[in-house]
Amino acid sequence: MAALVKARAERRAMRRAGEGGRRVEYLAFLLAGELYAVAMAHVAEIRRPPPITEVPRAPSTVLGVISVRGKLVTVIDLRRRFQLPETPVDRKTRILLADGGAGEQIGLLVDEVQQVWRLAADEIEPASVLGGEQPAHIVGIGRPAGASGAILVLLDLRPILELP
Amino acid sequence: MGEAGGGREGGDKARDEFLSEAQELVDGLGRDLLVLDQGLKRDQVDAEVINEVFRAVHTLKGLSGLFGAARMAGLSHELEDVLDDLRLGRIEVSQAVLDTLFQAVGLYGRILAAEGGEGADPAEEVEQFLLAVGQLSQRRGAGGGAGVMAQYDLDPGLLGVLTEYEEHRLRANIQQGQRLYRIRVRFSLATIDSALDDLKAKARPHGEIITYLPTGSGSDIDTVELEILLASRASLELLRSAITVPNVSLDEVGRRAAHGLSPSTPAPPPAGATSPPAALDDAGPPPTTAYGAVSRDTHSVPVDSYPSTPRDASPSRVPVASAAARGARAAGPDLSLRSVSQTVRVDIRKLDRLMTVVGELAIVKTAIGELAERVRGRAVDAREVGVELARLNRTFDRHLAQMQGGILEVRMVPLGQAFDKLARVVRQISREHSKDVNLVITGAETEIDKLIVEELSDPLMHMIRNAIDHGIETRDERLRVGKPPVGTIALNAFQKGNHVVIEVEDDGRGMDPEVILEAAIRRGVVTRDEAKELGLREVFGLVFMPGFTTKDVATDLSGRGVGLDVAKTNIAKLGGVVDIASDVGIGTKMTITLPITLAIISVLLVEIGPRLFAIPLANVEEAIALDPTLVRAVEGREVLTVRGASLPICRLARMFGVPHRERERARAFVVLAQVGNRRLGFVVDELVGQQDIVIKPLGKSLARVRGFAGATELGDQRVALVLDVASLLEEVLAPAETRFLASAPDGGRG
Repeated sequence: MAALVKARAERRAMRRAGEGGRRVEYLAFLLAGELYAVAMAHVAEIRRPPPITEVPRAPSTVLGVISVRGKLVTVIDLRRRFQLPETPVDRKTRILLADGGAGEQIGLLVDEVQQVWRLAADEIEPASVLGGEQPAHIVGIGRPAGASGAILVLLDLRPILELP
Repeated sequence: MGEAGGGREGGDKARDEFLSEAQELVDGLGRDLLVLDQGLKRDQVDAEVINEVFRAVHTLKGLSGLFGAARMAGLSHELEDVLDDLRLGRIEVSQAVLDTLFQAVGLYGRILAAEGGEGADPAEEVEQFLLAVGQLSQRRGAGGGAGVMAQYDLDPGLLGVLTEYEEHRLRANIQQGQRLYRIRVRFSLATIDSALDDLKAKARPHGEIITYLPTGSGSDIDTVELEILLASRASLELLRSAITVPNVSLDEVGRRAAHGLSPSTPAPPPAGATSPPAALDDAGPPPTTAYGAVSRDTHSVPVDSYPSTPRDASPSRVPVASAAARGARAAGPDLSLRSVSQTVRVDIRKLDRLMTVVGELAIVKTAIGELAERVRGRAVDAREVGVELARLNRTFDRHLAQMQGGILEVRMVPLGQAFDKLARVVRQISREHSKDVNLVITGAETEIDKLIVEELSDPLMHMIRNAIDHGIETRDERLRVGKPPVGTIALNAFQKGNHVVIEVEDDGRGMDPEVILEAAIRRGVVTRDEAKELGLREVFGLVFMPGFTTKDVATDLSGRGVGLDVAKTNIAKLGGVVDIASDVGIGTKMTITLPITLAIISVLLVEIGPRLFAIPLANVEEAIALDPTLVRAVEGREVLTVRGASLPICRLARMFGVPHRERERARAFVVLAQVGNRRLGFVVDELVGQQDIVIKPLGKSLARVRGFAGATELGDQRVALVLDVASLLEEVLAPAETRFLASAPDGGRG
């Protein structure tokens, strides 16, 4: 019985591997109707937004601070960062707690969390396909096979979290 | 260091402990060197302190070996050799030697920083330093004076088993003209540890114990007789009355006239003894003891005071009375790798009191549980439950406050921890600049939060460096203007309400406001017109500006300002402020005012528009209703008349760009804030109440936002920002400075 289960798991793994080498998990979310995604490894947690305290005189992309288990977390509005139209906070709004480098956790406000995609290397196009100079935070375009037409803008968080 | 960057995964905690332990050892090393330095000036070098230094370096070597810190192990190894030579009198303690050792303390600091991931590995400096150290140990003197011991009627058996160190101490004491005493004392094996300690404590004020050995005679199965050699200036009578322990006999060691070495004068210092270390070509091996060939009394148990010094390892010394040996060894100065980590040193009684409070809280918890049980069984009416709950709440509150107070107390450490390091800096800088400076410290026992002490060392160092570098005049210059040749820097600390005040005061040449202003105008920091408006305090405040650290300005200002901007920023981060007062020709005084603790603070919660802010009560003098008819605009700044005096006010809603609440004409309040000597009224919409909060820092991403010390979570998930009153005062009251900073790339949106 156990051997059977194992064999099935192995088959499944082989099938997956055959689809294009190592796969990386990306968390996709919506910002003003567009799909963006960041590597799952950089996301620690997804939370419903608590009341956010605005910080006067902070850079405009900073929404404010929240307290997560006794620690203060700066929340950034990615829509402001990408100059996208803003929609009001609703029941789908989430805050992603992401590794902001230098040991600090940063909150990213997103309109909606969509799903986790497991992308193989051949499902990712370089950012240069968009033509011209792309901002440093766009690292590629994800085109998951099997999900016809879905396009993910893959983000690198580091340049985003370096506040202007 | 390269290896530090790599495997920083699993062993992080152990590594942190290693770093903190090593840091403490290095700090201790610095302190001991200062003691030696003081001693050297009075020509009284305490051998025990040299031993301390030796032990510290030895421990550092062991530690660094354990943690693969090769750079540090190498440094320690070489130093250990030099220190061993010092200890054994092969080289003499001199200013030059101390300079080298102080340099080592600095190098240790940098190696530790590199190990901790800050700063570069000072590989080259260590290499060069080791070269210098190597030369030091080649300057070994011949020790000399071996013959002096022959004057004394000492048992050759005893002399034969002295360690090199003991022999050196014996020689040194004789050369200093001390008398020698022989103490025979019988101890019970059961109590030897404490009894020996007692005897040593009684003897120590009068002299130095050279050695103690079991005599082998007069011992039975339960007792052991020790012979103790004591060097002392005191008379036999005095010692007999001082060393009062059971079963003791005390005699002076007689002098042999036969050698005829001028017996009339006590211990004539032989030529080689006090002369400076012999020249390089004289670097022969240290003299072997003249008594090396004397047959050993097999009954005696030599107690090697320094068991882990390899040089002293002598296989022929076999402990016979092992209990006695153990006892004596435990009592003697030990070289064990004892844990010296003092990261948090807490009086156990403080913890006991906290534990008691925890017990009280447990009782309250039980009572609440019982009450809940009764409510569930509907055995009580609501009124009764209300009364009972209110009572429990009060009790809970009281114990919580006790607990809070207790924990705060545990966090408090004396400022002396920071001051010790500064004394080292003073010595180093004053030697670098060939200026004689006396550091006078008062109030080192003043307690302040551990976190603050840690952060305070650097700012204080910058201030002191400036005072020596540019405040204190050269010896000649001082004499010319009729000042004492030795300059004085006073470091005074005292508590003032909820604050600790630290003053750094020098009696140097002072600062000339005219010169500062001229430089500021030339640098474009202020215009000539603005300069006229500045008060004296604001003028002195200019020296804290980053622009004033550049060299051309610095020379004009006799260099004032190097690192001072950093010092001020760091102090502001701690919620403190710096004020300067200076008189030309008389001196400069910088006054730092700091809160006692950062951990739990009482705040006044206020509303500005729809938002809640917290103002630390430590900065709040009072809160009054704002009477708009008493507000006048003076020089573009709003000023409120309070009890006949002018108070500048700041409308926080405007400053923070908070949207105004609808009821525009509603009442407002003024919160009078004070930091140091500065006062300012903050205009707020509503006073909400007082609360004790735990203040949390804003993340690094908001480090550039000024005006907030942090934030706190209120019970209901909401977060309130805590105002950084000191920096806001600065911002509002020092307009010139703000203008200057505004041109810097600062994140403020205004």
